[in-house]
Amino acid sequence: MHLFLTYTILGLVTGAVYGIAASGLVLTYTTSGIFNFAQGAMAMLAAFTYWQFRYGWNWPAPLALFAVLVVLAPLLGMVLYVGIMRGLRQTSDVTKIVVTIGIMLGLIALAQWIWSPGVPRTDGLFFGNTAKFKVLGVYVTDHEAIALACGVLIAVGIRLLFTSTRTGVAMRAVVDNPALLQLNGGRPERLAAFSWALGGALAALAGILITPISGGTLDVHVLTLLVLDSIAAAMFGRLRSIWLTFAGALFLGLASTYVLGYFPESWSWASNFRIALPMIVLFVVLIVLPQDRLRGATLLRTRERFTVPTMRSAVTWGGILLAVVLLLEQIMGSSDMGSLTIGIIFGIIALSLTLLTGYAGEINLAPVSFGAIATIIVFHLGLSGSGTAQRITFWGLLLGMAVTAVVGGLIALPALRLRGLYLALATLAFGVFVSDMIIADIAPHVLPIFHLNYSIFPNGTLQIPALKLGPIDLSSSKTFLTTATCIFILIGIGLIALRRSNYGRRLTAMKDSPAAAATLGQNLIKLKLSVFMISAAIAGLGGILLSSASVSVNSDTFIIFISLALVMLTVVGGIGNVAGALMGGILAGTAFQALTSTFSNLSTDAGGGGFWSVMANLSLVAPALVGISLGRNPSGAVPDIVARYKPLWQTKGVLLLGVMAEVVAYLLVLTKVFGNWWFVLASALIAIALPAVGRLVEPEAFRPPAKVKPARERPAAVPAPEPLVEGVADARP
Amino acid sequence: MPVLEVSDVCVAFGGAQVLSDVSLTVAEGGVTGLIGPNGAGKTTLFNVVSGLLAPRSGRVSIDGHDVTNAGPARRARRGLARTYQRLELFTSLTVRDNIQVAGEIRNTWSRRGRIDVTAETDRVIELVGLGDVADREVSELPTGRARVVELARALMTQPKVLLLDEPASGQTEQETEAFGRLLRQLVEDRDLAICLVEHDVGLVMGTCQHIHVLDYGEVIASGTPEQVKVDPVVVNAYLGAP
Repeated sequence: MHLFLTYTILGLVTGAVYGIAASGLVLTYTTSGIFNFAQGAMAMLAAFTYWQFRYGWNWPAPLALFAVLVVLAPLLGMVLYVGIMRGLRQTSDVTKIVVTIGIMLGLIALAQWIWSPGVPRTDGLFFGNTAKFKVLGVYVTDHEAIALACGVLIAVGIRLLFTSTRTGVAMRAVVDNPALLQLNGGRPERLAAFSWALGGALAALAGILITPISGGTLDVHVLTLLVLDSIAAAMFGRLRSIWLTFAGALFLGLASTYVLGYFPESWSWASNFRIALPMIVLFVVLIVLPQDRLRGATLLRTRERFTVPTMRSAVTWGGILLAVVLLLEQIMGSSDMGSLTIGIIFGIIALSLTLLTGYAGEINLAPVSFGAIATIIVFHLGLSGSGTAQRITFWGLLLGMAVTAVVGGLIALPALRLRGLYLALATLAFGVFVSDMIIADIAPHVLPIFHLNYSIFPNGTLQIPALKLGPIDLSSSKTFLTTATCIFILIGIGLIALRRSNYGRRLTAMKDSPAAAATLGQNLIKLKLSVFMISAAIAGLGGILLSSASVSVNSDTFIIFISLALVMLTVVGGIGNVAGALMGGILAGTAFQALTSTFSNLSTDAGGGGFWSVMANLSLVAPALVGISLGRNPSGAVPDIVARYKPLWQTKGVLLLGVMAEVVAYLLVLTKVFGNWWFVLASALIAIALPAVGRLVEPEAFRPPAKVKPARERPAAVPAPEPLVEGVADARP
Repeated sequence: MPVLEVSDVCVAFGGAQVLSDVSLTVAEGGVTGLIGPNGAGKTTLFNVVSGLLAPRSGRVSIDGHDVTNAGPARRARRGLARTYQRLELFTSLTVRDNIQVAGEIRNTWSRRGRIDVTAETDRVIELVGLGDVADREVSELPTGRARVVELARALMTQPKVLLLDEPASGQTEQETEAFGRLLRQLVEDRDLAICLVEHDVGLVMGTCQHIHVLDYGEVIASGTPEQVKVDPVVVNAYLGAP
C-alpha cells in the first residue's frame, strides 16, 4: 500500500506536468489552428534559461521564475506568433507543421550553442530535497506539491477562461471563422498572439517543473522529447477539451509510474517501454478517435504551386545529374565522395516524401525510422558471406523494403481515416517508438517455444556491409556513389511517370479535394494506404543504403530529429519536385555538415573561439532558419531557382559561355592547378553571375512574365462561404 | 420507381435543427428541382444524400438500395454524382485532367466495364462546350465555367442520378440559357435523373418537371412548376406574409 501510494503520487505529479504542457498545445491550436511541434523545445529552452539564472548566476528562485515564466517565455511565444505563425494563413498543413518543426530544431541548435552540451548541469527541486511533508505515511516533496497545485490551478483556470470570459469564448471562435469574429468586433490577431504568449508560459512552467522530477539533468534532446510526450495527452482531448486533456495527462503519468513500479525486473524491455509509453498511448488514441468528417478544398486555395515536368525533361535532367556526378568523381577524394553519397541517399529517402507529401498531401515525420526497420531486417536476414567479404544481397534489400512497406501500412492504417495532422502524429509516435523500444532493445532475449536467442539491435551498434547487386559490388566508394545516383535518378523518373499516370492524377485529386474524390467513387483509405506503403518502401531502400554507407549504425543514426530535419529541408527544397528532394537530401546529408566542419576546422586553426566558431554555430542553426522562412515561400526553393535560370534558354550565348567557364574550371582542377575548394567557389560564382550577365545581354527575356490572373477569389454572386460539410451556415438562428 | 429516395431525414448542428423529417423523391429520367430560401437546408440535404454528413435519423436509398450507412464512395458506385456550390475542383490539375481523372476513378470501381477514358473525356468536353479552355488550369477559369467543369467531371462517372448545387450561380445569362439546354439534352440522351438546387427562377421553371420546396429544414410543398408557383405557402416563404 505504501509503495502504491508513492507511485500514485509520483504519477499524479508527472501527469500534472504533462497536463500543463498539453493545455498549452490545445490553447495555441484552438486559437491559431497551428499545432506547435516546438512546444517541447520551448519547455527545454525555458528549463535551461531558468538554470542559467538560478544556478549559473545565483539569482533568487522567485526572481528567476519571474524572469522566465512572466517575461521571457510569453515574449518568445508572442514573437513566434507575430513574426512567423501569422504569415501561415492559407498554407497547407504540411507547411504549418514544417515551420513549427523548424522552430523546434532551431531552438535545439540555439540551446546547444549557448549551453555547450559537454558541461553537466542539474536543476534542483524547489526548496531543496529536504523540504517535504508526510501524507498518509508517504513523503511528498514541496516541489511535487507545487507541481500538483499548478496543474490543478491551470486546468481550472483555462476551463474558466474558455467558458466564462469573453476573451475565452472569442478565442474558441478564432479558429472557426476569424473573419466573422472580426465583423463582430473581436480581434483574432490579438487573441492568437495572447494565446501563444500563454502557451509559451505553460511550456516553460512544464519544462521547469519536470526537469528536477525526472532526475534534474539538463539534456537538450531528452527534455524536448519529454515534453513532446504531452502530445498524447492533448490528443485525449482531441485538441479541444481541457478536462479530457488533463484526464489523459493523469492517465499517462500514472501508467508510466506503475509500469516502473510493477513490471517484473526480468522484463528487460520494461524501462524502454516506460519511456515509449506516451507514444504508444498516442497511437492507441489515434486508433479509437472517431472518424473525421471529410474536408473539402481549403477555404481559398493554398499558396503552394507545383508543376510537373515532361518525361523528356525528366530523363534529360537525370542524364545531366549522372554526368555531373561522374565528372565530380574524377576530382573528389574518397571522404568527399562518401559525404556526397550520404547526401544523395538522403535524397532517395526524401523522394519517399515527394511521393507521399508532394503528390498525395499526406505527411510522414519519421522517414528515417522506416529506414531503421529496413536496416534491422537486412541485418538479420539479408546478409551473405562473412568478414570483409560480407555483403547485403539483392533479395535482402527487397525483403527489407517489403517489410518496411507492410510496417508502414500498419502504422498508417489507423490514421488514414483522420486528417493529415493525425497521420503526421502517428508517424512521429512511430519514429520515437522505434528509437525508444526497437533500437534500444540491445539485450538478448530468449524466444519462447523455439528457445532461440535473439536481440533486435545487438549491443546497440550494427555493422552493415556494402550492397552487392548481381555483378555490381558497392564496396568501393566510387561505385557506391554512382549506384546511389543511378537509384535516385531511376526512382525520380519513376515518380514523375507515376505522377503523370492515372494513379498520380487520382493522388492529386485526393490531395486537392478529398470530398470531391470520394463523391466520385474513390476509396480514399485504399489509395492513401497504397501510397503510404510505396513511400515507406522507398524510405526503407534509402535507409538500407544509408546504413551501408555509414558502415556502423547506432541509435544516433536514426534519432527522430534527423528525420525531422530531412522532412523540413525537403519541404524547403520543394516538396512537389524531384529536384526538391535532391536539394533537401544534399542539404541534410552533405551541405550543412560540410559547412559546420569547415568552420570548426578554421576555428581550431585560429586557436578556437572567435568569428569562425560563431560561423560554425550559425551553420548549425541555419537549417532551422531556412525552415522557418518557409512561410514566405511555401512552394520551396526549386521553383524559384527554375524561374531565375529559365530565361537563359533565350540567351544561348551566355549559357554556352557559362558552361565553357565551368569546363575550364573543371579542367584546371583535374590537372591539379586548383584545389577542390577553388572549384566550388568558381562554380558558385558562375552560377550567380549567369542570370546577371543574361539580363545585361537580353533584358527582355528576364522581365518577369505578365502576372497570370491570381488565385480566384470567392465571386460576389455566391453567398457567404458555406462550410461544405459542416453546413453551419445553413442553420438559421 | 424513384432513383433517389430520402425518408424522414433529420439533421441538427448543436441545438439548431437544420433538417426535420425531410422526405422526398427524385424520379427517373427527369429534372427535379429543390428550391427554397437561403439557409433552408438544401446543401445540407445534398451532403446527407452524398454521404458527407451523417443524418441524426432517417434513410437514403439510391436506385432501390439502402445507402444510409454507406460512405460517399459506395454511394458513387450506386450511381450518384454531384457538383458543389462551393467549388471543389482539383486545383492543381488542368480542366482536361479534372475531367479525365473522374473517368479514371470510375474505371477503378465500375462493374459495367471500363470506358476509354481519353475518348470519353473528349466527348464530354465537346458536349459541355469546354473545348476552348481544356488545357488551362482550372484556377484560371471564371466561376461560371468552373461550374461546368464540375458538371463534366460528374458526368464522367456515368451516374444514374446527378445532384447539381446552384450550377448557374456565377454564370452569365447566356451561359445559364445554354446550361438549361444542356441539362434537357442530358436527360434525353443519357437516361439520367437530375436533382437541381437553384435560385435562377427561369432555369428552374424551364427545366424541372417536378419541384420540392424546402424552408426552415422542412418540405413545405411539392408539385409541378405550375402548382408550386401559385402555392400560397411557397409564396409566403419567399416573400413573407401579405
